[in-house]
Amino acid sequence: MNIDNFRRAILAVGLVLPMSWTAGSVAAQTARSFGVSVSTPTINQTATSAILPPGGDMVTNSGQSIAVGGLATAQDAFAIVSGGADPTYGSSAVSSATLGAVNLLNGLITADGVVAMASSSIGDAVNSNTEGSSLANLVVGGVEVSDPAPNTRMDLPGVGYVLLNEQLESGDGATTSGITVNMIHVVLQQPILGLLGEVTGYQTVGDIIVGSATSSVTR
Amino acid sequence: MVRLRSLALLAAPIGVALVAWSCERQPNALAPTIGTPLAHFQPGNFVCTPVKMTGGGRIDYPPEQTEKNPPASHEYETFGAHVMGSGQQDANGVCLADKGALEWVDHRPEMEVNGHPLNLHATEVTFAEVATDASCSDGAVHWGGKLRVQNTGESDLDFEVWDCDNGEPGVGHDGFAISVPAIGYAVQCFTVTPADPTCYLTGGNRQFHPTH
Repeated sequence: MNIDNFRRAILAVGLVLPMSWTAGSVAAQTARSFGVSVSTPTINQTATSAILPPGGDMVTNSGQSIAVGGLATAQDAFAIVSGGADPTYGSSAVSSATLGAVNLLNGLITADGVVAMASSSIGDAVNSNTEGSSLANLVVGGVEVSDPAPNTRMDLPGVGYVLLNEQLESGDGATTSGITVNMIHVVLQQPILGLLGEVTGYQTVGDIIVGSATSSVTR
Repeated sequence: MVRLRSLALLAAPIGVALVAWSCERQPNALAPTIGTPLAHFQPGNFVCTPVKMTGGGRIDYPPEQTEKNPPASHEYETFGAHVMGSGQQDANGVCLADKGALEWVDHRPEMEVNGHPLNLHATEVTFAEVATDASCSDGAVHWGGKLRVQNTGESDLDFEVWDCDNGEPGVGHDGFAISVPAIGYAVQCFTVTPADPTCYLTGGNRQFHPTH
């Protein structure tokens, strides 16, 4: 092989090998969290949120006092997201949202400590969980609620309903895994009236979410 | 032209060798002498190698345990933390960190400052050394730098953390501990711990990456 052929060979390896690395390096992670989100026909606001950018390591945000549209107030909100993607040693994403005193809908729902935490990892094993999440001194419509199970639903007459410790999984459990936890999710509803004024159903007109954390990973 | 080609052929392996050398383990690296002694994280067992640790979580301290405290007690801490180092030492043998961040929130009522949770925010991460600690199965890092107490504005305070990735999931396996000597603050566990002085995570995960 003369020197030119040798150079061409080196050039080919130099061009093709990195392409093969790229094709095999699809590891990725996402993480996002927020303290309070209100979505209605007139209000669309999220307070104290953190989103991990592609290739990012950590993002934080905080707010001492939050008030959204007369529907939600909260104290001492912190949103923290962190993660790393690594095709060789595994990827991980962790997100958390913590709040102090929370008051929704003029006292219809109160709590004095909210922790939403989501964690996903993929390597030798695949795992997503919401361990570490909790609600302190939660009162819904005058009823104390202690340590609600995932996706606990309580009706709020005249308002809609609330999902407590709402958990939404994603991914196939093999090459992708993810989870979202919304500690308090109020679904605002209005009745649908028939021709005679009777209630024929309900339509969702908005959402209030307090303490949300999402994490996901891709191998 | 032929000389140039020859020069390039000679330079390539030297470059590769230099990169490989830069990634080689350089034992006996030292962290700055701040705060409590390093005696609890397998004394003397630190090496200066490329490293990255990411993640965050929750610790329910005190007491030292693996379970959550009752939520109404507010006896817990939450945090996010990451550090990255390329295994380079300074002239004093300090294993330098390339970058890092720490956000620490202590929700305990007794730690509140003016009615708000104690919030520590790293302003600089200066060192990161890998602990060759067998009890952290995936990897352990001792790192630190300077932080600010967000509640009071006190800044330029030395801090150090002990960071343990002990398998998956992080809850009940991984550990983390922090000390800020200037304000007498520490969250450390010595009886229920994956590796002294770390406390078990009750939420979240620590992920060790032995890479640049």
